[in-house]
Amino acid sequence: METYVIMRRNGWRNPESFDVAAFASMSEVERTPDEIAWIRSYLLAEPDGTLGTVCIYEASSPEAVRSHALRAGLPIDEIVKVADTIVVRPDSAAEAA
Amino acid sequence: MSTAARTASPAGHLLEREDALAALHGAYAEARAGTGRLILLGGEAGIGKTAVVRTFNAALESRSRVLEGACDPLFAPRPLAPFADIAAQTNGSLREAVEAAAGAHGVFEAIRDELVSPTVLILEDLHWADEATLDVLRMLGRRIGAIPSVVVGSYREELEKAHPLRVVLGELATVTGVERIHLDPLTAGAVAVLAGGFDVDASELYRTTGGNPLYVREILDSGGAAIPETIRAAVLTRIATLGREAQALVEAVSLAPPQLEGWLLERVCSEVVDRVDECLDAGVLTSTGGSVSFRHEIARMAVEETVSPARRLDVHRKMVDALAAPPSGRPDLARLAHHAEAAMDREAVLRYAPAAAREASAAGAFREAAAQYARALRFAASESPLERAELLEGQADAYYLTDDQLAAIDSLQEAIAFRRQACDEPGDARLLGRLVRHLACRGLLIEAEEAGAQAAAMLESRPKSHELAEVSNAMALICAYRDDADGAFAWGAKAVELATLFDDPATAIDAAITVATVKTFRDGLEASSELEHTLALARRHGRPDLVARALDDLALGAMANDAHEIAARWLEVGLAHCDEHELDLWRLAMLSLRVRSELDQGLWTDAAATAATIIAETRDSPEPGLQARLVLALVRARRGDPDTGPLLVDATAIARAATDPGWGAALACAVAEVAWLERRADDIREATDAAFSEAVDTSSWRTAELGYWRRRHGVVDALPADLQGPWALQLSGDWRSAAATWQAKGRPYETAIALSEADEEPALRQALDLARELGARPLAAIVSRRLRELGVRDVPRGPRPSTRENAAQLTARELEVLALVADGLRNADIAKRLFLSRKTVDHHVSSMLRKLDAKTRGEAVASARRLGMLEDP
Repeated sequence: METYVIMRRNGWRNPESFDVAAFASMSEVERTPDEIAWIRSYLLAEPDGTLGTVCIYEASSPEAVRSHALRAGLPIDEIVKVADTIVVRPDSAAEAA
Repeated sequence: MSTAARTASPAGHLLEREDALAALHGAYAEARAGTGRLILLGGEAGIGKTAVVRTFNAALESRSRVLEGACDPLFAPRPLAPFADIAAQTNGSLREAVEAAAGAHGVFEAIRDELVSPTVLILEDLHWADEATLDVLRMLGRRIGAIPSVVVGSYREELEKAHPLRVVLGELATVTGVERIHLDPLTAGAVAVLAGGFDVDASELYRTTGGNPLYVREILDSGGAAIPETIRAAVLTRIATLGREAQALVEAVSLAPPQLEGWLLERVCSEVVDRVDECLDAGVLTSTGGSVSFRHEIARMAVEETVSPARRLDVHRKMVDALAAPPSGRPDLARLAHHAEAAMDREAVLRYAPAAAREASAAGAFREAAAQYARALRFAASESPLERAELLEGQADAYYLTDDQLAAIDSLQEAIAFRRQACDEPGDARLLGRLVRHLACRGLLIEAEEAGAQAAAMLESRPKSHELAEVSNAMALICAYRDDADGAFAWGAKAVELATLFDDPATAIDAAITVATVKTFRDGLEASSELEHTLALARRHGRPDLVARALDDLALGAMANDAHEIAARWLEVGLAHCDEHELDLWRLAMLSLRVRSELDQGLWTDAAATAATIIAETRDSPEPGLQARLVLALVRARRGDPDTGPLLVDATAIARAATDPGWGAALACAVAEVAWLERRADDIREATDAAFSEAVDTSSWRTAELGYWRRRHGVVDALPADLQGPWALQLSGDWRSAAATWQAKGRPYETAIALSEADEEPALRQALDLARELGARPLAAIVSRRLRELGVRDVPRGPRPSTRENAAQLTARELEVLALVADGLRNADIAKRLFLSRKTVDHHVSSMLRKLDAKTRGEAVASARRLGMLEDP
């Protein structure tokens, strides 16, 4: 499995539609656990009022990322491979949650 | 004392012992309810009896009282040893009874007193029990129903006939409340689970250990040693207890895997054959259907190592003599060959190994066949060149059929050298013909052509021969690979003529397929009726391999003529045919056509899936492997996805091992295109120079394509003047004609590439739409940039061309319709404007409304403005 960053800019009009998408994403990940794992996402407050995401996934290939997105109905702008992870401190949002 | 065989899986769960544990827990529940049980847990040494007892024990935890005792493995065991252990865990009467040597009855009375409250009493290793302990066991068994406790006794099942435990087991067999549980060896699946995380071959581990958990664990713990020291010691200690004659018998059996049949036993070791029972009783050997063998392969190996060289030779010689004249049926050639080699009997090896090889080939066991030929060749140093050549030819066939083409090529080349040494020209030429096929298959085209030319030269000066038919057939194929139509026709015609003359329809059909395929390339799809005719011929002659080749070439011919749907239909028929006849290599060849066709049609998701299937294939077939990696790398690069690098590295290795200029050109084109899309600063001139000059020299159809990509990297070549096709048009700056040609060929991505070179807005917009529909992010970004450079305003800002419409997941066409709706156009007007049917526009509009969650056109436009998908008016 490799780690990928997936950009989904302006993907959703409101938090409700994002919640639907997140649920779909989760269920699709569970169907193919050998191919893809959802690590975390940052929900983006896009300037135009919509929502986007930057997602971190582990997947067997870029095609596995695309297949998951297609099945879950998620947009993809760009898939970038992660060369290394440097964690300076835990996400404060995650800490608070 | 006993060695605990740990059969626990990595997760700590005991594998395949659920039934035994359930029986123990069931017995315990009944005992608590007042009806006690005696459970006798039997199995071979190392089977994991102790592990079951421990797991049961652990599951009870502190809820219950557990008393444990074990028997001594001594020639003269301490009387009542297990109860002495138990007495130490208790106070009172039991200790007194044991210390006072109260005899079995006294101890039984004391034990029974201990068991009046629910208790689990464990007696381990009863096969070592002294007489007094067995007496106590007997008494416990008879009265167990009235004792509210469970007694668990473990024992090894390999018991001599007169073993006292046997007698007790027999007596207790019919007593109510006494139950025997037999533990089986682990299955292959469980062994595989245990081996998980270790660097060992699980099926081999299962084979050598027979699923014995102790052996499995010892091997895993020793880091996969063939025979861990602990096992060797255990096996040899046990052998040492046997008499001298029994040991001799065991040695003989160790030299004759997998088993020694009764009649062989009589002939090979007649003097000790009466010691069989001693070996069986000691559990060293086991007997099934009149044969004796070791219980575990690993034990056999441990014993075999200790046999002296002189004794080995003697046993193996006797085995050869005996096996050569079996009491009934045909001699077992494979075993004969094995023992002949071990007996260093050259003559016998050369008699039996080639025969065994032919037998194995006939049975489809090609790996074994290759091994038998190798065995014969090890003893063939003083044979004549022709005899050695024959062995090598057989070996080459076997290697080829086991998918080891490179080894097949080596054997053939050696065989050719021997034929040459014997001045056997026709034979030499025939082998060269075969070598041509193998070399061509690996993409070693230059070597193939050399071999073919040599063979043809030898044969053409001689009378007409069948060999020349085969060589001509091979030469026709080479010419076809090299785009030399005239050569292919000439050689093909000669092959058909000679093959017909020498009554070899297969070669005639094969050559006819080559000729028809070249014609389909040259003359277009109408010429494929000739190919269909060869397909019918191949079917009529019952040759599935030739049927596969004809179907493959029909698809190839259709693709060469841009008839992708026809190609897809042939491939479907072809793949089903290959599955039915298990023609794996042809199946891969067809998949490699499919993957290229899918890429060409812009079906990238399908192409990526097909490529992944080919890459995951274990059979070694370089051309499909190369094609799949190139296609997957191109799909990723065209989408802007990562991970093209490793694919191109692998593809380069495959292409470098070959000398087919077509492969080098395909690789160079892909490398240059990927580098362009990824905006890499690689030196494409250097990376593609060799492939480019080779393409020019061989007038390859890829010359223009490679020239184009080099141009895009700023490399300006002097190109041949006669280049044709859309790439040549693009090179000459005629993007409009190129785009039209690509469109007519059904190649959307290449159409977009051609349009992207335009310097006018409509063509660039068309390129952008095509790129977006394909999901070609990098190309879309390039075109967007060009549009903005031209001063076009409403181009969505790159590098994410799909950003905006993704807000509602609208397709490019729906976006186009949306824009016109926003301009107030009615569906009929939109249809006219976009050259679409009214019905299609209706469909786009309703789909767009649904995606924007809008009831009316006005709502849709408002919503799209809010999402930034439309410029404000």
